[in-house]
Amino acid sequence: MRDERVLAYCNLFAVLGSIPKLLELDENARKLVQNKKLSIGFSVKDGPCGTLAFDDGRVEMREGTKGCSIKLYFSSCTKFNGMIDGTATPMPVSGFHHLGFLLGAFTKLTDILSSYLRPTPEKLEDKDFFEKSTVLMLNVIGNAVVQIGNNDKVGMFSASNIVDGDILFGIGDDIAIGIRAKDHVLSIMKEAPEVSFSEMRFASLTVARDLFDGKINAVAAVGEGKVRICGMISQIDNINRILDRVSLYLA
Amino acid sequence: MRACRVIPSGIYGHQGPAEGCYVPIEAFPLYSQKAEGTYLWDLDGNKFIDYMCAYGPNILGYHDPDVDAAAAKQRAISDCTTLPNTKMIDFAELLVETVACADWAFFAKNGNDVTTLAIMAARAHTHRKKIVFFKGYYHGVSPWTQKIDYAGVIEEDVMHNIYVEWNNFTQLEEVFEKYKGEIAAVIGQPYMHGNFMDNILPAEGFWQFVRKKCTEEGTVLVVDDVRAGFRLDLAGSDHYFGFEADMICFCKALANGYNVSALCGKEFMKNAISSMSYTGSYWMSAVPFAAGIACIEKMKKLDLPKILIEKGTKLKNGLEEAAKEFSFDLHVTGVPSLFYLRIADDPSLKLHQEWIAECVKRGVFFTNHHNHFINYALSDEDIAETVEIAREAFSVVRDRHPL
Repeated sequence: MRDERVLAYCNLFAVLGSIPKLLELDENARKLVQNKKLSIGFSVKDGPCGTLAFDDGRVEMREGTKGCSIKLYFSSCTKFNGMIDGTATPMPVSGFHHLGFLLGAFTKLTDILSSYLRPTPEKLEDKDFFEKSTVLMLNVIGNAVVQIGNNDKVGMFSASNIVDGDILFGIGDDIAIGIRAKDHVLSIMKEAPEVSFSEMRFASLTVARDLFDGKINAVAAVGEGKVRICGMISQIDNINRILDRVSLYLA
Repeated sequence: MRACRVIPSGIYGHQGPAEGCYVPIEAFPLYSQKAEGTYLWDLDGNKFIDYMCAYGPNILGYHDPDVDAAAAKQRAISDCTTLPNTKMIDFAELLVETVACADWAFFAKNGNDVTTLAIMAARAHTHRKKIVFFKGYYHGVSPWTQKIDYAGVIEEDVMHNIYVEWNNFTQLEEVFEKYKGEIAAVIGQPYMHGNFMDNILPAEGFWQFVRKKCTEEGTVLVVDDVRAGFRLDLAGSDHYFGFEADMICFCKALANGYNVSALCGKEFMKNAISSMSYTGSYWMSAVPFAAGIACIEKMKKLDLPKILIEKGTKLKNGLEEAAKEFSFDLHVTGVPSLFYLRIADDPSLKLHQEWIAECVKRGVFFTNHHNHFINYALSDEDIAETVEIAREAFSVVRDRHPL
């Protein structure tokens, strides 16, 4: 069953949390926030709190809302999730003079993000777009795994069985993210680990995409050599169980 | 690829490349062409000394002549019929005579059939719900044996499962205190043969402590001997470790590959079993019973566990020596007839996976995550060849990772 609180964590730290990656990948997105130095805090009652801090074309997501320029308060996780779905409007509680940024550049930014995360089949035919969209999805999924493993009841059970160490998820030889497991708490790594405790590597962007879209299954893909695993396989096994729940929250 | 088109994941379950941890997949054969004695051949005709033994069933050697002859003889008489053949009684009598805690035997097909029966019977007998498991366990594939995060399992399937650490006296004591009068059964494999970790034998007095607590609290003690059965002790692995289970589950080595499993138990559990609605279309087929009888009689005549442990010890010594030659810290754990391998120099197991892959490429079928199995057909020459191949594989891995 889907838990609104867990969904809120995924929406904040995985979906909005992928904006830094979006700025790395998309020049138009980057241009929107060039010369901007301000931060948007999201405070969700009984849920997550985080801040997107923009600084001249770069952005970082950090926990908490201390010192943010605009603060958006949500009285419940459902309300926050509604904003992400586009069915609810956020109400700033501070930083009203930055409302223009919120309704202008930031809204455009999230529109670009949506176009990558919910692409049309036609757009995916563009090789460059396909690559960016898949890399961004890897990023969102990696962050969602962390949130589900740390907050979802079933995900936490899986995390409780993960031994300590860095887990690498890669596409081909060049694209990779890392998840750190420490005392059964997961965190996303800033850089993919040079030495991992276990690895799951998709043979190509197409394989990764097909897996993300649910067109192929990871177990079957291992058998066909399209997905390679090595190292402490029990880590991969448990991460896969969490991965199975990502579609429950972000499909 | 042909298999993937018509079979989910090509080969599902523990014998598939994902669960079987084939790292890298190119090093491992996927399907076999034939098997004989201790060998199997892949589709290209490559021969392997097989240390997985079909994950346990092959205990006397593939195509053991005595077992196959008994099965063929019975097949000519009857197999799956409306009225069961008396071979079923003969087999039950033989198990009661052989297995220390057995006053009766109930037959099914797979290990999961009888572990499930044991748990249902314990619940029927005690009118309690909770089951205690030792972490790292494997008791089959029914929902109650799985975990809350497994695909297809719902919370309600596992809500009465309690997990304690192997060899942890205190945790077990605490669980019995916390759930006083609620625990139907404790189920455990005779020792911890979990995957990706060195196997752990019971601590001094652990099983005796478990036995005592179960008796005091009116809890049924179930030993899952599906994996280890007959490779430690023909009277049951509980007998090997000096205690008595209330029920014991067998499958794998019971009939040298013929499809039969058995739940054996003490007299006081017989009525609970009788009262249950539990059966299957092929559970009274006579051919596997005949094979099982021949298998057990041969194992008794040979005093087989002793031989298998000797063979396993010879292999363990050879492998450890070869590893030392190349400065690898190879751990060989568990009972030698059921040995587990791990190169401990690299805790991530990547080094170990490299070595296993090199062994497999050279004709020794090991796995990198699971315990292995010794069978009677494994000769001294096979052991020597295995050690030689292992040495060569160590050499290749050492060249790649110089000291």
